[in-house]
Parts: sequence; structure tokens; C-alpha cells
Amino acid sequence: MNLVIIDYGSGNLRSVENAFKNSVKINKLNFTIQVTNKLGLISKADHLVLPGVGSFPDCKKGLEDIKGLIKLLTNEVIKNKKKFLGICVGMQLMVDFSLEKQRTEGFRWLDGYFKKIGKKGLDYLGRDYKIPHMGWNNLQFEYNNHPILENITENEQFYFVHSFVLESKKPNQIIASTNYSQKIPAIIGKGNYIGVQFHPEKSGNSGQKFIYNWLKWCP
Amino acid sequence: MLSTRVIACLDVHNGRTVKGINFINLKDAGDPVEQAKQYSTIGADEICFLDISATHEKRRAMFNVISKTAESCFVPLTVGGGVNDLSDFRDLLNSGADKVSINSSAVYNPKLIKQSSDKFGNQCVVLAIDAIENISMPSGYEVTTHGGRKKTNIDALKWAKQGVKNGAGEILLTSMKSDGTKKGYNLKLTNLVSKNVSVPVIASGGAGSPKDMVEVVLKAGASAVLAASIFHYGIHTINSVKNEMSKNGILVRDCEN
Repeated sequence: MNLVIIDYGSGNLRSVENAFKNSVKINKLNFTIQVTNKLGLISKADHLVLPGVGSFPDCKKGLEDIKGLIKLLTNEVIKNKKKFLGICVGMQLMVDFSLEKQRTEGFRWLDGYFKKIGKKGLDYLGRDYKIPHMGWNNLQFEYNNHPILENITENEQFYFVHSFVLESKKPNQIIASTNYSQKIPAIIGKGNYIGVQFHPEKSGNSGQKFIYNWLKWCP
Repeated sequence: MLSTRVIACLDVHNGRTVKGINFINLKDAGDPVEQAKQYSTIGADEICFLDISATHEKRRAMFNVISKTAESCFVPLTVGGGVNDLSDFRDLLNSGADKVSINSSAVYNPKLIKQSSDKFGNQCVVLAIDAIENISMPSGYEVTTHGGRKKTNIDALKWAKQGVKNGAGEILLTSMKSDGTKKGYNLKLTNLVSKNVSVPVIASGGAGSPKDMVEVVLKAGASAVLAASIFHYGIHTINSVKNEMSKNGILVRDCEN
């Protein structure tokens, strides 16, 4: 299998590459991993990963600067049903739009938009809810027995760092959520494409389990 | 619910750990890569490297350390020390750092906070503030640089607020008076900054026992606790710190999974 991590100038490519390579090595999977922005290689790939850190508008611009990339992605993922994983801003890009800085359009593969996390009240220790939502948080599964969650429990924690949250009228596209001042969709998806708000590449053993699940997942 | 983070900090000089922990199964106690890996295995929620190398040339060794660490250490990695401009930022991030902490350079070049957060996102900009008591400052605390040796005449609270406004995603707050004393964090300072900024505040400086960690979270509202020397002699471990926090009702990450 051939996996492509899409390189469009977003920051955490190395971390994503390292974590996926580690999973392939430890689990003895037959995968090659390439980090590239070349459309030819992306269209030849079996699976696609779209990382993303920074702001939504910056990431969108980074993608737009590579001519034809967004159109190709939609074609490969929606029409050709290639397995896809969006990470953090890479996940946010999968929905209709985001209100970060200004309204910026997403890929419109999933319903909804991103708005700033509302921070009402105090946490269980009487502390303010700080933004970004930064650190390790657990998941609540909204979907029973999804293969992506195999061997993962609701007590396990994943590393989050984000300030925007998905607002959507379609709860059936939410696979797992987390809680920080409000309910926050943590894994979203439909069919062959999945997006995660957390960083599996920075989520220790639990992150490695998630990556392994995704790699062997056959949607 | 969100766990309170326990961050292990390693001082690195010329690519070698200063005061590294004597992990039993460690081949080389001076190797920051091995140290970081051990820390992440035993449950550190984040690793922080502070580069204290004297010269720019020797700092190149740090890039190698970071890139090797990032290959096998799958928890967030913060790197600070000697970050002067955007190209230092880029080099560190490209090597595999997730966050970059800036201290003196932000004081001498305040635009760096805004430039770096605009360029790389506020999630990776950590404003490190080394504060010292000074009653003539409105907040009672003054920002220092160069490991507390140089005073700046900048009010620490004002500086923290301004930093957040300019795009810092997190504040690493060190009380220079407490640092190295093992007598506990500075609760007053931590509480003051934590109450008045919207981003997470990491308490640093003075941790001597797991109880100190509990106290700075419960009494001063710290979002995360950072420590270096408390772990070095093996008396207290990440695990003993987390157990104590957990016993006191603070949620921590269980890394057994």
C-alpha cells in the first residue's frame, strides 16, 4: 500500500511522518510512506493524510497555492473513495467553512462550520477554561464498534490543541467527541474519510493505536 | 475532561543533557534523546528542552537532538533557548519541535511573538517569562532575561497580557526566586498571571515534591506543571507526582494504556 502525507507547507509534517513510519515498522505493515505535494503522486496514492497546524485561512491558502490540489483531493476522496485522514486543521478543512479570522470555505465533504470554543463557567477545579483547548483529553464514543476505535477505551487520552469547534446539524457524522467547556467533536467522518481534531502523532501509545487502526481500516 | 499536564524539562548544553536522570536502563545519561524517550515512556505529558548552549555553532547540535527525539517520542516537544528570529523558529519546527518557547528574544524584539504566531500559528508559540519580585512594578513582578541576571523594567503581568494579545498560545511562567530552591512554586505569581490571561499557564520553578504540584494547581490555577530537578535524582517520579495529583482530585493522564 502506498500512503501519501500531503505537504502544503503546514508545520507538523515531520511528526506525522515519524508517527506513521513507527506504526508501519512496529506492526510490520506493508506500506510505503511519501511526503509530497506532487499531484501525480497524490493521485497514484492508495491512502491520503492531510495534516494541518496553524490557522484555517493559512492552511487553506497553502492548499490553494498548489494548483489543482483541492479539486484533485475531492476527486480522489469523494469520487474514487480513497481512504483519507485529516488531522487538526486538516480535519477542519473537511466541512463547509470556518469562522477563524474571517469566513473561509472548506471542502464541503461534511456538514457544518467551525466557530470559536465558547468558554462558559469554570472547570471542576474552579479554573477558567483556557483557550486553546490544549492538552490530553479522553473521548466519548458516539458510534459503537467503529473499527477506527478498536482496542481504544473511553479512558484513554489524546493530545488536543485547538481553539475552534465544529457546529453541525448532522450528529451522525460524529464518531467520537470530547468535553472541554462544551461537547467537542473529536473524530468525524463518513464512509472512507475521517477527520480527527486531536493529534494522533503526538498522542503516545493511544495515538499509535489509532494510527494502526486507521492504517488497517478497510472502509 | 482535560488532564492537567506534567511536563518534564531537560537542560541541554552542546547537545548533551545537564543533570540527566539516572534511569537504570539508560545507556547514556547525557543523551537528551534517550532521556526524552524514557520520560515519555514513564508518562510525561510533554517534553521541554531548554538549550543553554553558549554559541550559535553549538546550537546546531540541538537540531540533531530534536530530530532524533521526534523520531521515537510521540508526545509534544517544546524547545527553547537562543531563539532569536523567524528562521530559528522554522529550523526548530522543521527539526520536529511542536512548540517553541521564546524569552529574552521576545523582550528585545517584541514583534517576534506576533510574527511567529502569524506565521506558524499560536499553538506553537510559548512565551516564557522569568519573573522576579519587584514592589515598584504595578503587579509586583518584573520580567528578567538571561536567566534572571538582567532586569528589564517591564511589568510581568502586563508583559504576559501583551504577549497573549500578540499571539502567544501559552505562557511558561518561572519564578526566578523559587527556581532551584525546591521549596514550592510561587503561588502568588502563578495565580496572578493565570487569573488574568486567557491562555494556559505552565507553572515553573521551585518544585520540590509532588505536593508542590498539587498546590500550584489547586491554589494558583496552573494549567500545567513543569519541573526539572525534582525528577533528576529519582526520589520523585512522574508517576509519584501524578499519583499525588490524582489523590487530590486533579485529573491526570494515565499512561498505562
